Amino acid sequence: MESNDSLFLPEQARIIGERELTSNTKLFDLNFENGKELNHEPGQFVELSIAGIGEAPISVTSSPTRGTPSFELCVRAVGNVTNALHRMNVGETVGIRGPFGTGFPAEELKGHDLLFIAGGLGIAPLRSLINYVLDNRDDYNEINILYGCKKPCEQMFEDEVSNWARRQDIYHEATVDYCPDEVCWEGNVGVITELIPGVDIDLDETYAVVCGPPVMYKFVLQELEKKELPHDQIYLSLERRMKCGIGECGHCQINGAEEELYACQDGPVFNYERIKGFEEAI
Amino acid sequence: MKAIGKAEFSNFVDELIADDPREVIGVQAKSNKFAFDPLKSAEDLRLDYDVTILPPKKYFMPQRETLVKYNTNEGEMTAVNEVIPRIIFGIHPYDLIAIQQMDKVFEETHSDENYLAKRRESVLVGVNMKNASEWSFAHTMGTATTDSGYDLMLTDIGDKYAVEIGSVKGSELLEEAKSQLDDVGMEEIEKVREFKEELPDKFRDDPEFDPFELPRLLSEYYGKDGFWEENAEDCLSCGTCNLVCPTCYCFDVKDVNDITLTEGERLRTWDGCMLEAFAQVAGDENFREEKAARYRHRYMRKGRYMYNKFGDIACVGCGRCSEQCVPDIADPVDVFNQMKEGTNGI
Amino acid sequence: MKPESVKPKVAFFDFAGCEGDQLQVANMEEKILDLIEVVDVVNFREIMTERSEDYDIAFVEGSIATDHDAERLQGIRENASWVVALGSCAAIGGINSIRNSQPYDLVQDRVYGDDADKIEAWDVAKPIDAIVDVDGYVYGCPINQDEFVHVVESLLQGKDPNIPTYPVCVECKMNENVCVFARNPEKNAANIKAAVDNGSPAESGPFCLGPVTRAGCDSQCVNEGTTCWGCRGLVPNPNENAHQEVLEKYGLSVDEVINKFNLYFGWQQEELKNEQ
Repeated sequence: MESNDSLFLPEQARIIGERELTSNTKLFDLNFENGKELNHEPGQFVELSIAGIGEAPISVTSSPTRGTPSFELCVRAVGNVTNALHRMNVGETVGIRGPFGTGFPAEELKGHDLLFIAGGLGIAPLRSLINYVLDNRDDYNEINILYGCKKPCEQMFEDEVSNWARRQDIYHEATVDYCPDEVCWEGNVGVITELIPGVDIDLDETYAVVCGPPVMYKFVLQELEKKELPHDQIYLSLERRMKCGIGECGHCQINGAEEELYACQDGPVFNYERIKGFEEAI
Repeated sequence: MKAIGKAEFSNFVDELIADDPREVIGVQAKSNKFAFDPLKSAEDLRLDYDVTILPPKKYFMPQRETLVKYNTNEGEMTAVNEVIPRIIFGIHPYDLIAIQQMDKVFEETHSDENYLAKRRESVLVGVNMKNASEWSFAHTMGTATTDSGYDLMLTDIGDKYAVEIGSVKGSELLEEAKSQLDDVGMEEIEKVREFKEELPDKFRDDPEFDPFELPRLLSEYYGKDGFWEENAEDCLSCGTCNLVCPTCYCFDVKDVNDITLTEGERLRTWDGCMLEAFAQVAGDENFREEKAARYRHRYMRKGRYMYNKFGDIACVGCGRCSEQCVPDIADPVDVFNQMKEGTNGI
Repeated sequence: MKPESVKPKVAFFDFAGCEGDQLQVANMEEKILDLIEVVDVVNFREIMTERSEDYDIAFVEGSIATDHDAERLQGIRENASWVVALGSCAAIGGINSIRNSQPYDLVQDRVYGDDADKIEAWDVAKPIDAIVDVDGYVYGCPINQDEFVHVVESLLQGKDPNIPTYPVCVECKMNENVCVFARNPEKNAANIKAAVDNGSPAESGPFCLGPVTRAGCDSQCVNEGTTCWGCRGLVPNPNENAHQEVLEKYGLSVDEVINKFNLYFGWQQEELKNEQ
């Protein structure tokens, strides 16, 4: 029988824009067919659904302050759903469930200095918060953005990144792990952790907001530890395979000695103080 | 409490099978084991069973369940909730308690109608345990009897079943047997009391632990070097202990298409945290790659995390995992005893 | 694949094997009509006489056991956009790999007797991915028709098929079968006791390779009352040692266990050893 109150029925959203960011990453601009707004917070995710292929959790990369009612997803083609989305064109529709999860505490961060640390595709969820903060610039103090990629051609959102570099009210550094000889690159060369010592941090005021591949966290946290940044002033966005988005399916559980967390409910954004005792988290 | 003669009870069940629009389910022999299955005749109903291969959760959260149907040409998706109203005979108290735990999960997360509607449309007829599996430790877990979770509860008191009514649904069902029901006197009440008094002797006597200690013990042993590795060494990562558990509810979601690629269904299927790929993400990163980590996770879920969330120990002592684990490493009593006795480290 | 687009051309090829998997495809009855709505079958000797060397998807059945086989397979690989191993022999070496652990001369002599010298084959039978890159696998001996459909459907949609990495036990439990190891509890108990008391089980015990065999067959052999022979091959990270201990505990001799494992796992076991 048909059901009207299913948690699993996606709403149709139309692709209204599509832009290649790197060789395997695209930015999709989506609009719900029924005209509603996504109403997300920076750091939340949606379940992107393509009939016949499946669902995949994707963080929302646009800020709720920009471009509504449409919203943007920054998607790397790594699995069935994301590859299928890459083959789709403007005008076609996909399914969306969500937004889900706990995002960045944009309110709590107000009045503080912010240190954004993004590695690779980790820029996608961070961009949502960065643009939110920039659109409410007066509510926040100093803004530092460190952004690292493997190589220059993997840097995304170039126009926005160059704007960060131009603005006087943002400290910005970009780096690449390596730069091929024939490529022109004006930023740093080296892993992102090498940029952290150069940032002037007011330990009382600074919140670090970190997102990157799993392997990056350990090293970034070591550097922040050296700076003696209190753990409760660090936020991380973690990747897990959220299959349902609603705390049921179990795939995104993060287990610890005392309790477990669901990345899809308690996260994907976590305060480091909260998760540092969870050996599965980082 | 009411009572019904066994012959009358059989007639009642046969009438339901013949006349009630709902599907009538009961525990039946399956080779040398037992299983919940649709009843063809009251004769097949085995209220003296020890334990079923799978718990009755399969009726509320089926092994494979369609959530959404779609037509890829029209891009249309329709939510699906296949609800078959059922009367289920013969659920043991530990399974009734497990169902109550599952209800909390599916209510308190997000009101999952795919589960809840199936629950609402089911009548649960419990039966006190005449026999227990040699692996069961329900008594230790406090789940050998229950005062709630059933619509009707039967107790075999010789030539009759004593019938306790647990809900309006139960009393409505019993209406259909009204003329067959006897009022009970002191004798029947005494027999039910005796039945329950003798229950503890039916269970294994080796558990050394108290269920209320489990959350603490599990937290103490979480980081214990070698403990989980040693216990999990022979684990085949086959997921049996998850699949047969009455409180396991993790699932996978997948799309299944017909070959013309026009029609298809999104299914949820049973999954298990003991399976190797359970915590794998895109790019092949696996957050629980080692079998010891998966083995530990299952125990932590049963004895610690569900307790944090709902106040329940999510092991009801049915013994299914212990019995069905081929390499014989899944027995919670063994693991909990090790913790309690402080062997393997502490 | 949208109906207006050109249908991919599909061809079937066979090497050392019994063609039982192609027979499964040929026997798909009404489903084969659906299949030929979405693909053009250009080469399939079990159902047609026409032949074509112009194809997109090549389904390859059978193991590779001679130089000539290997050359022919390489030619198929060059012609096809997708090469799919069809059935155990092609996917995992299958039953042909029983001989891999035996001396080649003995095998040749046993099978061909006086004509042994006319045969020039390798001393091991190999799955096709030992020779060429393979884009997809349909496991089983024989294959499961639903899984074949799923693999075709996935190829056409450009997605990786969802092939289980977990063992047959998962499906067997979902089907609520009585476990093979629980069918005869008295005998099992007697065996286990005898092994403890006398050092060896009283009689040969049950065997089932379900706990180490890749699922996807819907546990159909156990559903039908028999036992899993392992035809779909080992799961990616099998705990073989633990399962061999189980089989020995229940009463199989070490030789029996080895024989059971060699029926389908010959090539895979060798590969696992090499990895370690």
